[in-house]
Amino acid sequence: MISTKLSGRTPRILLFLYEILALSLLFVYQKDNLDRYILATGIGLVLLVYISNYMLIKISKGDNYIFLIATMLMSIGIIMIYRIDPEAGIRQLMWLSIGILFFYLSYFAVKYIKGLDKLIYLYIVGAYFLFLITFILGTRTYGAINWIRIGGFSLQPAEITKLILIFIVACYYSQYEKFKEIKYSPYILMGIVYSFIGLLFMQRDLGMAVIFYGIFLVLQFIYEENRKLVLINIGLIVVGGIIAYYAFAHVRVRVHTWIDPWRYIDDKGYQITQSLFAIAEGGFFGKGLGLGYPHFIPLAYNDFIFAAICEELGIFTGIGIIMLFLLLVYRGFKIGIGQTNNFYKILALGISALFGIQSFIILGGVLKVIPLTGITLPFVAYGGTSILSSFIALGILQVASEDAEWRMDHE
Amino acid sequence: MNKENRRIIFILVGFCILFVGLVAYLSFFQVFKAESVKNNSYNKRLWINEENVLRGSIMDRNGNVLAYSEKNEGTNTRYYKYGNLYSHVIGYSYREYGKSGLELEYNNVLLDINENAAINELKNLVLPTSVGNDLRLTIDHGTQEKARNLLNGRKGSIVLMNPKNGEVYAMVSLPDFNTSNLNDNWKEITESPDSPFLNRATQGLYTPGSIFKIITTLSAIESLDIDLEYVCEGSTNIDGYILKDYNEIAHGKLDLHGAFIKSCNTYFGEKSLEIGKERLGSVADRFMINQKINFDLPVKESSFPYKGNIGDTELAASAIGQGKVVATPLNMAMMASAIANNGEMVKPILVKEIINKDGKITRAITTDVISTVTGPTVANEIKDMMVDAVASGTGTNASIRNVTVAGKTGTAENPSGNSHSWFVGFAPANDPRLAVAVILEEAGTSGGQGAAPIARDLFIHGLNNIDF
Repeated sequence: MISTKLSGRTPRILLFLYEILALSLLFVYQKDNLDRYILATGIGLVLLVYISNYMLIKISKGDNYIFLIATMLMSIGIIMIYRIDPEAGIRQLMWLSIGILFFYLSYFAVKYIKGLDKLIYLYIVGAYFLFLITFILGTRTYGAINWIRIGGFSLQPAEITKLILIFIVACYYSQYEKFKEIKYSPYILMGIVYSFIGLLFMQRDLGMAVIFYGIFLVLQFIYEENRKLVLINIGLIVVGGIIAYYAFAHVRVRVHTWIDPWRYIDDKGYQITQSLFAIAEGGFFGKGLGLGYPHFIPLAYNDFIFAAICEELGIFTGIGIIMLFLLLVYRGFKIGIGQTNNFYKILALGISALFGIQSFIILGGVLKVIPLTGITLPFVAYGGTSILSSFIALGILQVASEDAEWRMDHE
Repeated sequence: MNKENRRIIFILVGFCILFVGLVAYLSFFQVFKAESVKNNSYNKRLWINEENVLRGSIMDRNGNVLAYSEKNEGTNTRYYKYGNLYSHVIGYSYREYGKSGLELEYNNVLLDINENAAINELKNLVLPTSVGNDLRLTIDHGTQEKARNLLNGRKGSIVLMNPKNGEVYAMVSLPDFNTSNLNDNWKEITESPDSPFLNRATQGLYTPGSIFKIITTLSAIESLDIDLEYVCEGSTNIDGYILKDYNEIAHGKLDLHGAFIKSCNTYFGEKSLEIGKERLGSVADRFMINQKINFDLPVKESSFPYKGNIGDTELAASAIGQGKVVATPLNMAMMASAIANNGEMVKPILVKEIINKDGKITRAITTDVISTVTGPTVANEIKDMMVDAVASGTGTNASIRNVTVAGKTGTAENPSGNSHSWFVGFAPANDPRLAVAVILEEAGTSGGQGAAPIARDLFIHGLNNIDF
């Protein structure tokens, strides 16, 4: 009796308390230009997070921790972004609302639309179409062409394509027996995925290329019966990596600035060293919200938000964020193991792998554990498309966490 | 469990290892690497106060400004008025090269930084542009200039201080460098084999040679059980090693006093065996050899490693300041000061006062006795020997007509083949106001010829010009 109460309400209330405390700190810091608008924003965040978590328990019989984890990460992110740039913070709060909306949209869509696992050809065409419009309409930022502008909004189509990739692979392996009859079908699938990776490479979106590869490798490793293919996949990336290192200057730069950023501190190594300064300054408990200098870090509310968080909130908060991602990945895999419907099971595994790989790449990058590739930290970093795609993915995971017995009856 | 779920667990374990690895690395980074990363001069946080706060000035004891900052077109620039003269005392503060000397040690005072980050932040909100504290040094600018001129470009160091209150009037180390245009010469300075960055006065560890006999003499006086008479034949055999006197002159029948003023090596070598390493070592410790000396600049520890297993030869060599004994010029000036000050060694002082922007003295440094090396009677006994060493012994080049000078010369053999030329002493002997240590590094001349005349000229200048 007590334990069920604990598992349901306590974390939600703890998150509520965390937000109240962090916002109070922020208001102390912002006390000079505190107005109703800002207060309303803060109260908006708290209510939005609390109510959406409460609602979910009523709506979904599935896992009610993954959404809690995501909103916790969002809260830390919004508070930090708001502290760096109040306007961006308010926009991020807006993105959170839209994100939660998309979470429910994707939840209901994936739950009630039938035959999603039969649309593999549509997904493939859709993915290529998104690449095509990126090349036609794309603008170059930080050396990568991965943004398109429609009206006043910037979109990053690859954020959607990565979800489509998971659907493609899920369709394929959930109907493995059927596809196996097509000659060379596993090779064709691999060819398609590699063509995506190649296109991302041409857009110079290295981080995303690694995510695509990682998701595919994880799912192939679990489901491919021809183990030789898994080895080929691993072998190809080693060879491809070596070729890329020698063929592309921008790949070499990433490796050089990873090995010794201090040598290139004036130009190429500037970003990563600024990140390391911030993390080092923070210490275990941080300088305190509003007392650090996150403005010194380039892209502080974007790719390097983790460094800014470590500076002001300490590496204990940083470790907390890492553990939240680990929990999210753990719950995701647990959902995958428990799911009896193969299509939903593969979707759950693909999405968990996506969260795990993406967060590891950027966390490892800003910590200089691995070469830095510019991608967003899911749920934490500022960015519209990234937030939307993360919440859409979370919505799918939420569906997968539910018992699929009723769906089996239809088949 | 089926095959797929086993593979899923395998992948999950992989993710766990990756994330736990991140946590471990983050902790490792914070504990072992953060400190050095933070202090990289590219870290703009180190300079944030530099932009908001006008760095305080540094002046000598008479109020002559030696270093100051000015605001030009929104940025603060640091000026060093005297180029090379204070390269090791004041040091430098450059965004590109970091900080050294007092600029480093007193950085927080000069910028008026509180240790508490939160208080600073509040202060920056209230007072966006503030002014740091000024430092008033104990240095006498004229004497500092005189000391540098006396070295005349030769490698070496001079420390001139007040033996009673510890105020340092001059501290010179050559070769030095020009702090006002580091940008032009940085490469040359860093690549020079003579290490111009090294503050020889506090960081240079030199074989002291015969000036160490002051310590051996005190040990001999304290060793009541030994016979202080000796007949010097110019050389002696200690455990198979031939210990020679300077130019192998036989001094004949000697007591301690005679041995001291003639700086007889064989006497002190032989007597050290009777004194023993423990007694010699404990006296050395009282003179702050093997001890950490707290000073406004970082000081290397002088060393006489007597605690280990040392043989008779090594002990005899140590007694005349050879062997493994090394000492800093500052420590040797303090040694002379202790004898001058009735056996009480005072803490050396470089920064006299800290003055805030309203002109108020917020901190005045007081005299501190850090070690009592002996009582007044024994100190006076050694003082008499030092007076005679200058009057009629090895240090006659340090004597001044109207002032009694006390001192001891040293000619220290070292691996370079050219001996260091040392002189330590104080004046006037009856009421000491100045104590000095002079070393000419690898000069190849004796202490009496090289270092003693420099000490004499510096005493004359100091006694006539310093406002005590």
